[in-house]
Amino acid sequence: MGGGYVILPLLQSELVDKKKWIDDNELCEFYALGQSVPGIIAANVSIFVGYKLRRTAGAISAVLGIVTPAFISIVLLAKILEEIVHLKFVQSIFWGVGIGVLILIFLAVKEIWKKSVVDKFSCWIFFITFILSACFKAPPAGLIILAIFIGLWLQFARKIERGEK
Amino acid sequence: MIYIKLFLEFFHIGLFSFGGGYATLPFLYHIADVQKWYTAKQLSDMIAVSSITPGPVGVNVATFAGFTTAGILGAFVATASVILPSLIIVVIISKLLEQFKHNKYVQSAIYTLKPAGCGLLAAVGVDMFVNNINLLGMILLAGLFFASLTEKRDPLFYLGVSAIVGLIAGFFNWTA
Repeated sequence: MGGGYVILPLLQSELVDKKKWIDDNELCEFYALGQSVPGIIAANVSIFVGYKLRRTAGAISAVLGIVTPAFISIVLLAKILEEIVHLKFVQSIFWGVGIGVLILIFLAVKEIWKKSVVDKFSCWIFFITFILSACFKAPPAGLIILAIFIGLWLQFARKIERGEK
Repeated sequence: MIYIKLFLEFFHIGLFSFGGGYATLPFLYHIADVQKWYTAKQLSDMIAVSSITPGPVGVNVATFAGFTTAGILGAFVATASVILPSLIIVVIISKLLEQFKHNKYVQSAIYTLKPAGCGLLAAVGVDMFVNNINLLGMILLAGLFFASLTEKRDPLFYLGVSAIVGLIAGFFNWTA
């Protein structure tokens, strides 16, 4: 339950302590890498672990293991909600819950901020993306691609500065 | 065909969202805007349910959005396509693990990507805030905010409290 950030202790007790599939160092490495590649962190970590154990087949089984319970519970819940969502008291609950979601998003921003905004430059990137997205409705994928190019360009400029080829 | 469109949209979410499950929200919000498969309000409901259902939020909310768009098959296509880029990229990186970790270009791109992902999510939060909040909502939000400052709480706490407030507010017709 919850986002990718809450699964670390769970992974540690299951994969490291009980099953002994990986050690603590590997878990930390996979967890850090899982945040550095696109996609859902929990799925990324599971794919790293699965691949380490049984190559591609392991990766596929691991991701199926992560996705299947989520898939079943959401489809069931969505079906039930379809039936009751028009009821007035359900609407009232969702009105309240919509406010709760704002807090969850705020907390997620805070959590990601701690790990991503580390200096002045990354702070600029944050605000520029924020403004382009909030005020100009720029498509998110476009902004992500722009950020990738800025990152690559930064490193390129650093190399030039040092006179390397 | 709707399933091909679903595949393309969710594959691109899996490919471009950086920062975990909640980082997929700006993309889902954008889809609500452009494709009109569901409304922003429906998306907010989906996020709430996804946050308290077992499983990673990102997977849950993708499954939910797929289901809302095109039923069970839609849920299947959305879930599979949001995960597929991860599977491909992580398997490739696992093969090249050492090069990947030490490549300066990769590190530099990650350094700029993460704050960008964060900025996108902040924009969704502000947009949702501006579009559907009234005075009571603001009071509730302020209360939840202070509760979040005192200690780390489960999503279930925030959603539970706000559900109860919503129920009471609905009874007195305060939700408009």
